[in-house]
Amino acid sequence: MRAAVRTGWRIGAAAAALRGRAGRPLSQAAGEGGGAEGSGGSGSREAVERLVREHPVVVFMKGSPAQPLCGFSNAVVQILRLHGVEDYRAHDVLQDPDLRQGIKNYSNWPTIPQVYLNGEFVGGCDILLQMHQNGDLVEELKKLGIRSALLDAEKDEEKK
Amino acid sequence: QIHPPSSCSFSPMRGPLLAAAGRAMGGTGGPLARTIHAKLTAALQPTHLEIRNDSPRHGGPPGAETHFGVLVVSGRFAGLPLLQRHRLVHEALQAELAGPLHALQVVARTPQQWESDPNAPPAPPCLGGSKREKRRG
Repeated sequence: MRAAVRTGWRIGAAAAALRGRAGRPLSQAAGEGGGAEGSGGSGSREAVERLVREHPVVVFMKGSPAQPLCGFSNAVVQILRLHGVEDYRAHDVLQDPDLRQGIKNYSNWPTIPQVYLNGEFVGGCDILLQMHQNGDLVEELKKLGIRSALLDAEKDEEKK
Repeated sequence: QIHPPSSCSFSPMRGPLLAAAGRAMGGTGGPLARTIHAKLTAALQPTHLEIRNDSPRHGGPPGAETHFGVLVVSGRFAGLPLLQRHRLVHEALQAELAGPLHALQVVARTPQQWESDPNAPPAPPCLGGSKREKRRG
């Protein structure tokens, strides 16, 4: 799947709009719509599976990329930003307790933030930081068709 | 001859001091810190172990034990990718993570890795999330 880096990121803007109207979490709104998705709310395996496959880069965090509400979540946002990755899916688990628990069940990982690349869980903030430091993140992004901005920065350095 | 770094960014205390605190000298070693120490020691037989209570940095009152960072150096990590190493640490602390342990920073290295780089990143600053939400894991 080729990622479009420059189209800007969404934090589930549609979901936020739904919540704004109804004043309730998205899971309940979907249920009222007829429950077409079958089992479970926003924290079910099926729902989470859909979210992690939505985009090459998906982050479950506290707050939003514009306003992280946790130092660890902010670290993830900053690292992605360093690599020029601004187009990704970010889900604020503080807005949805079902998702908050569901994502932990799905990955069998006890904490937030959680980073998924190409639908696969890669780890939290500590692991992303180490991947950034040892060059693995540049490689993983390359596999997703995303060219890290750090490569361009290096090229500029060489030109000087 | 390997000299310990004069300042270790991971913890402000030398290893032996943390271990001494764990042996109920009071001060920095609360009950959860001691439990973390004991469980990680039993599960991973670390050659080096540092435990840092970050709770005060996240708005915790005195004596709070909710946010920790652990630096674990163990031969058990050899050949394992980062994700698996961290899972081993989580496994050892499963009960605590389901309970009072709200956040856990993990640095997991083999003895060879630690020897070649005896430094670890400091904790990221709190951005107030825990002050704005119910305290749960």
